[in-house]
Amino acid sequence: MRKAFGAGRPALDGFSLEVAAGETVALLGPSGCGKTTALKLVNRLLSADAGEVRVFGLDVASEDAVLLRRRIGYVIQEGGLLPHWTVEENVATVPRLLGWSVERRRARAHEVLSMVNLPVAEFASRRPRELSGGQRQRVGVARAIAADPGLVLMDEPFGALDPIARRALQKEFLNWKGQLGKAVLIVTHDVREAFRLADRVAVLRAGRVVQVGTPREIEETPADDFVREFASE
Amino acid sequence: MRELGTYFWERRSEILSLTGEHLVLVLVAIVLAAAVGVPLGVLLTRTPRLARPVLGLAGVVQTVPSLALFGFLIPLPLLGGIGPRTAIVALVVYALLPILRNTHAGIRSVDPAISEAADGLGMTARQRLWWVEIPLSLPVVLGGIRIATVVCIGIATIAAAVGAGGLGVLIYRGIATVDNRLILAGALPAACLAVGADAILGAVERRWSGVSSEAAR
Repeated sequence: MRKAFGAGRPALDGFSLEVAAGETVALLGPSGCGKTTALKLVNRLLSADAGEVRVFGLDVASEDAVLLRRRIGYVIQEGGLLPHWTVEENVATVPRLLGWSVERRRARAHEVLSMVNLPVAEFASRRPRELSGGQRQRVGVARAIAADPGLVLMDEPFGALDPIARRALQKEFLNWKGQLGKAVLIVTHDVREAFRLADRVAVLRAGRVVQVGTPREIEETPADDFVREFASE
Repeated sequence: MRELGTYFWERRSEILSLTGEHLVLVLVAIVLAAAVGVPLGVLLTRTPRLARPVLGLAGVVQTVPSLALFGFLIPLPLLGGIGPRTAIVALVVYALLPILRNTHAGIRSVDPAISEAADGLGMTARQRLWWVEIPLSLPVVLGGIRIATVVCIGIATIAAAVGAGGLGVLIYRGIATVDNRLILAGALPAACLAVGADAILGAVERRWSGVSSEAAR
């Protein structure tokens, strides 16, 4: 797969990666390595210049981008919440887009809010600006899983948090992961985060996958000096 | 001062009815200008190539002195002639720029990360516009409407020159008879209208920006 922005070095070149159902894969690399670009190719916020992206076995290029995105959960840094909507409205966005009834989406919003440890009574009617960074991030995760997608994309989901909130959310993530059994593709520049959260890690450098493997494989048999140095940070 | 008060009181029915005419002129013009300017402003954010020339043209039109514009309009068929229609056309022209510019700027000021989140969730372009971009830019759009209204209340005094009525009638009559009291009888209510409109629309704007205050960040 290949993706370039204007002239110069393509953001991604010769990129190939598979995520199995129920598996969490981390895209790990320094900034500018193309990991966010790769993520956005999956839900067609960007489209590939060459090669193909398959989601649930279908080529995304042949699908309606809007309908595709409703079937893929998407979590971004600082939550990306709509500031004029309440927590409940934010969480119920995709169910609303899918045409669920008001009662059904409300019930589901409450259900996922409880899953991310936000008591409904206290948080459902708050607006994003009345939340802490960690709470916003939890709402972002709740929103992504509200319509029960088979695949969740996370772009530096815990990047904007302080170390304590970050660790707490990482721990919770491992719980959700076990409960939900979804395929998760997570972008991070933090080696420890990638190793803690992911079943497999893809190390990226300058738009190419340098190595794919379990955290252990990458630690014990790094493919080259770049990976060794990056993994030992 | 007291004498002026008595003078106004004696002419209260005329002042009131002319104030009413004045308000109708401005209201009709603002409703029409918003009906054209807001959709056009949104459209310009979708076609950036057109934004600069259109906003530029609207800016140039704005610089035509209002008395001259009223004059130019009189001989035109359909739009012109003597009476309120000509005045409303001229007011729409002046109201259009602030509404257009603020709508364009307001939509563009929406945080790109928020717009991308809306896309990533699976909103169509239309859903993103109505659910996200318009609500978040509403305070700025309302600001444009407020500025246009205040400007139009002032310019509408010139409407009397083309026989459209309004508070300008008293001002022109005062100038013709060199009667300052008569000029004030037109000018003071017009100023009050402008201040009142500014305050009311400003309050509406603040109410909305409270809801979407993070949009500006």
